[in-house]
Amino acid sequence: MKLKSAFGILALVAIAMFSSSSAVAHHAIQAEYEMDQTKGFTGVMTRFAMINPHCRWFFEETKADGTKVVWEMSGAGPGALRASGLVRIFQIGQPYEVTFAPAKNGANVGRVRTMKGPDGKVITLFHEDPTNPLNN
Amino acid sequence: MMRRIRTSTVLAGVLGAALWLTAADATMQQGGAAKPAGPTPRVADGKVDFSGMWVNTGGGGDIKPDESGNVTVLSRGRPCHPGQECKPAINFERDSGVRQRLAYGTNVPLYKPEYWAKVEYNDVNGNFVDPEINCYPDGLPRIGAPSKIVQTANELILLYASHNQFRVVRLDATQHDPIRSQDLTYFGDSITRWEGDTLVIESIGFTDESWLGWPGYLHSNNMRVVERVTRNGNQLTWQFEIHDPEVLMQPWTMTPLRRVLNANPKAMLIEDLPCEARDNKHIVTRERG
Repeated sequence: MKLKSAFGILALVAIAMFSSSSAVAHHAIQAEYEMDQTKGFTGVMTRFAMINPHCRWFFEETKADGTKVVWEMSGAGPGALRASGLVRIFQIGQPYEVTFAPAKNGANVGRVRTMKGPDGKVITLFHEDPTNPLNN
Repeated sequence: MMRRIRTSTVLAGVLGAALWLTAADATMQQGGAAKPAGPTPRVADGKVDFSGMWVNTGGGGDIKPDESGNVTVLSRGRPCHPGQECKPAINFERDSGVRQRLAYGTNVPLYKPEYWAKVEYNDVNGNFVDPEINCYPDGLPRIGAPSKIVQTANELILLYASHNQFRVVRLDATQHDPIRSQDLTYFGDSITRWEGDTLVIESIGFTDESWLGWPGYLHSNNMRVVERVTRNGNQLTWQFEIHDPEVLMQPWTMTPLRRVLNANPKAMLIEDLPCEARDNKHIVTRERG
């Protein structure tokens, strides 16, 4: 399934990220992820889920030896993506270069930092300044 | 001996920032200092008409692609006072945790001593036991004020954006329903009365699986919630009073919530999307945020 780009219809609705209770129920992000680390992979996006409290992107990475690795990336809440016009830009079945903060428990789960899609455009989903470890 | 339940995890080093954040939150919670505008509408019998879309203050959603089409969404983690330069958060998630824990200021529920340990346990272990993080409904009073009110001759239909929830309050109900008042629900069974222009809603019949608030504030299933709703022009004030003598030393009157009417006649409630508790199995530490 290919989702059309929404760049042209960026409706910057003033929806506060913290206006819904779902958005304020979060655990501290550092309780789940190694926020001072950045890892990456290239994989095919298999699913994009607009769910609370965090949207999820699922990928399948094919290693050099042919083995498959399934990744689950977490990001902002649905409200934030809606407010930023990012609902329909993700292309299922297409390869993405992903950088992320890895899960502390070693699972194939991460807090997404950037996604570079087949069109070469980089989508950054993070807090304040993704290069500043103090802003994690 | 009486003492208020205090969390044990707040560090003295962040107290200054916390107080600042608390003040900022209080401003947001009260909907800012804007004066009411317009007349207070009334229905045919002269009672106040609460109908409308009611919104809190807030910001966010401020991105545009660069010349190459790249999109950057960097969440603003720190609320700002009106007119104040909004500096980036030092640490978004930790700021958030401090803000939520201290958002109540000094107005916190006063628990009986035998419940102190349980409240503290809830707070410390909130990453795992908070009903909200497990995708359960907030219930009263944690859900706050409704996002939209539809008022008919004998009903208030309250619509909440969170979890797409609704609640129907009968304006002609003066006695609790014998069945529903013994149920275990998140909104309870409500009766109403008018005190002048203030609508008073009293509810019982609650589950004890919801919390009063983020810091682990528990309640019993014998809780009675009294809501006082007033409208002044385009402003709505929603106040909760918690009566739960089983666990509280005294009733808790929460800081009033203030909302402003969304005057756009085309304003719509946005559908909330399903909640999946997928983080829980990967959370390692107890740090909340």
